This record gives sequence, structure tokens and C-alpha cells, in this order.
Amino acid sequence: MKPSWLWIAGIAALAWLARGLALPVFLAMAFAYLLSPIVAWADARAIRRSVAVGALFAVIIAVLLAAGLLLGPRMVIEASALVDGLPALASQIDTRLDGAVRELVEAAPVFRRVLHEGGGWANRFVLDRAPRDPSDLFEHAGHLFLLAILVPFFAFFLLRDLPRIVTAAMDRLPPQHVETSVAVWRELNGVIGRYIRGVVLDGLVVGVLAALGLWALRIPYPLLLGAFAGAANVVPFLGPLLSAAAAGLVVLLTPGQGLAGVVRVAVLFLAIKVLDDTIIQPYTIGRSVHLHPALLLGSVVVGNHALGVLGMIVAVPAATVLQETVRLLLEHRRVLARRPLRSDAGRLSG
Amino acid sequence: MLKRGLPRWLEWAMDREQARRAPFLAHSPLFAGLPRRLLGRLATRFLEKAYSAGEVVFHEGDPGRALFVVVEGTVEITQATPRGEHLVRTLGAGDAFGELALLDESRRSRSARVAAPARLLILYKTDFDALMDGEARIAVVVMRNLSRLLAAYARSNPVVVTEPAPGLGAAEPT
Repeated sequence: MKPSWLWIAGIAALAWLARGLALPVFLAMAFAYLLSPIVAWADARAIRRSVAVGALFAVIIAVLLAAGLLLGPRMVIEASALVDGLPALASQIDTRLDGAVRELVEAAPVFRRVLHEGGGWANRFVLDRAPRDPSDLFEHAGHLFLLAILVPFFAFFLLRDLPRIVTAAMDRLPPQHVETSVAVWRELNGVIGRYIRGVVLDGLVVGVLAALGLWALRIPYPLLLGAFAGAANVVPFLGPLLSAAAAGLVVLLTPGQGLAGVVRVAVLFLAIKVLDDTIIQPYTIGRSVHLHPALLLGSVVVGNHALGVLGMIVAVPAATVLQETVRLLLEHRRVLARRPLRSDAGRLSG
Repeated sequence: MLKRGLPRWLEWAMDREQARRAPFLAHSPLFAGLPRRLLGRLATRFLEKAYSAGEVVFHEGDPGRALFVVVEGTVEITQATPRGEHLVRTLGAGDAFGELALLDESRRSRSARVAAPARLLILYKTDFDALMDGEARIAVVVMRNLSRLLAAYARSNPVVVTEPAPGLGAAEPT
């Protein structure tokens, strides 16, 4: 066995052993991509990375504390009200949904099969993934706490040490790979960075618009539902539907809102979606993703099958990376097929 | 140069490596005329790599995707001729080569080989394009400098374009 294969086997074994760290590392990378323009700004002013990243994290902690003090009490009140009313809400949902399904099936028996399948899908997707007993709930809370610690921790070191890691990797790279392989990595790095920053900014704008709209329509829990809409927006196609459905459900269970309220919420979320697709996304995500809608949908479905919700989130950047890699390889072949120009001789070298 | 950017009491926070790069790049004819702020931004886009003597940076005919600036060491630019390898130029600290890769990704017209152990700064076209998208001034200054270099070469070498235009027959490049 060649030593290089031993190295690859060793790294693969280590990666397998540390697979539990994949999610925090992935989220830390996304977080680092998000913050990298600010660190680059400090780099351009020749400020040491450790100082810039340390100051940035201090500012983030201060902003989170301030946001927690300002919005926290309101969020806690909304969350507590929701949790307190959860058993009553659940029975209300059951009763009203059963009634609605009965009415629908009586009016149009053809829906019986569709609703049965839809219910099965909802069970698999939502209820089967929900924690079964309190110990599961504590385990989930523990995972979330661990993520909240590990993600910033890894992101800090990624941001601080990345130039050193890149230089060390470049120094070990055979010269013949420096132009082609690293160029592909730089291209993909740019695409992923723009996509992640775009998606987060897009989610932020959509979340704020949803919260403001719901507040204007006097729908309960506007902050929670707005935050959910912003976060769910990361999942293509399904995200906006889920957030609209959640808001619609809250309206349905709110006395005095009725069907008119559901229609108002549907119009609000439709307007946000149209605004997002036509105005917000071109400015936020813009040119970073050029996936065909069919490929976009296909990647989301495959992502869901492979990794669930996380798969749906990473599906678009993964498909974009794949598409860009193929495009760059084809471009590379096209350039190789061209004859070299000899017009740039003399003072211009190469 | 960038020392002036940070007040004296903040000098402990200065990245000396990064502070060294911007003034170094200012001496290159390609980046002459860029203000300090933009030189700082440009400097962050460069990667750095060490080369041993004898290593080839790129071969004639390779697709060009990056510009190189010599930080230390010596690089030889050579061209293959029927009589063997012909030395075109020898480059030292501060010299740039592979400039045309910033214009398009056509194939290299020369080979570059490291003559004495060198450290090179590398700017990929992708990074340069991204920088130009956000900062048109960089595009204007660098493209103007590149045009000057091309014009200077065109004046001293009257036949510039050797690739046959479409429909003009397949003349061999001279």
C-alpha cells in the first residue's frame, strides 16, 4: 500500500470517528462565511486577525445581549403563552381539523385517499421526529446547547487561522495544481460565500416583513411567527409554505379571526413571497445561484431523502457547487482545446 | 505605509505581514496609482506560496487563471523554440508575471520557472473579478496600467496579433 493511500485511509477513519462533529463544523463554516467580509475589512486595514475576530465576537455577544434584553421579554411572553396553551390548542386543532376533514370528504369523496396519504406524510415528517418523552427533550436541549457552544468556538478559530491554514496547504501543494485546482476552489469559495450571506440576509428581511405584517394584522405571536418565517425561508419551496401554514393555524385557533383572517395571512405571505422572488432575492442571493428551477426542486427532494431538513438546507449550495465544478471543468477543457496566443510576448510574461 | 493607518497606541494590533504587502504591491507597475485603501483591499486577495529552485510555476500552453508577483527569489520566463528553451526575462522581487490571466483565461504564451528559491503572491482572476465588482476604481486603474503595458509592447513589436482572424485563412503564428 502506498503511503498516500495510508494517509487517505487514516483521514477517512478519523472523519468517521468524528462524524458527530460534522453538523457543528458545517454550521461554523456557514457562520464564518457570513462574517468573513467584516474580517476582510479589518485585513485590508492590516489589523491582526486575532484582534479583529475577537472584537467582532465581542460585538456580536453585545448585540445578542442587547437584542435579548429588548426582544427577549416579549419573545418569552409569546413562547410561554404558546406553551401554556399547547394542550388546549392541540385538542382544538384535532377537533377542528377532524371536522374540516369530515366536511371535505363528505363534499368530495375523492379527497379521502389524498388526505390519508397527506396525513401519513405529515406523521412521518413532523410527528415521528418529535421527542417521545422528557428524556428525549433533554437530549435535544443538550444538543442545542452543545451546538450553541461549539459553533462559535469553531467559527472563531476558522476565521482567525484560515489564512495560515491556506498558506500551509498552498506550500504543500505541487506547483502544477496551483493554477487549476486552487482556481476552482477560489471560484466555489466565492459562490458559497455569496450564497450563505445572501440566504441569511434574505431570511432576515423576510422574517422582519412577516413579523411587521402579522403585527399589523393583529395576529398573535408576531415575533415568534416572524422569526420562524425568517428561519424557515432557508428551506427552498417548503419553508415559505410551512411559515404561512403556521401563521394560518394560529389565526384559525384565534377567536374572532375566522376564515377572513386566514385569507389575510395567506395574502400577506403570498405578497412577501412575490416581493422576495422579484426584489429581495436579486439583491441578496443575486447571481450566486443559477440553478434551473427543476434542478433546484430535485436537489431539495434528494437532500430531504438523504439528510432530512438539514439536507434540504444544504441541497441548493451543494447542487450549485456541483454545477459550478462541472462548468469549470468543461471551461478548462475548452481553454485547453484553444491554440495559445503569442501576442502577449515581450514585457508581458505568460 | 499602512502604519499610518493605525494610531500609535494601536500598533500592537497591526498585522505586519499584511502591512508589508500593500506597499510592496504599490511598486508593481500593474497596481501603480491605486490609493492606499484599495491597495489594502487588493492585498487581502493574494495567496502566498513558496517555490523551490527548478519548480515550474506554469508551462507554456497551460490555462492562465492567476497573476503572480515575486516577493523574494528569482523567476525565469522562457519560451520553447525549435532550438530549445529561450530565456525571455528574469524577474526579481516586485516583478509581476501572468498579467493577461486577469483579462481572460487563455493559455499561457510562456513558461515560468523558479531559478532561485522564491515566494510568490498569487491573485486569481475570480478574486480579482469579485474585487472589481465591488470597487470599479480598481478595475479602471489596473486595466489602464495593463493597457499601457500592452501599448508599450505593441509599439516596440509592430506585429501583435498572430492568431488568424475568422475567414482569413489559417496562417501559422510567427
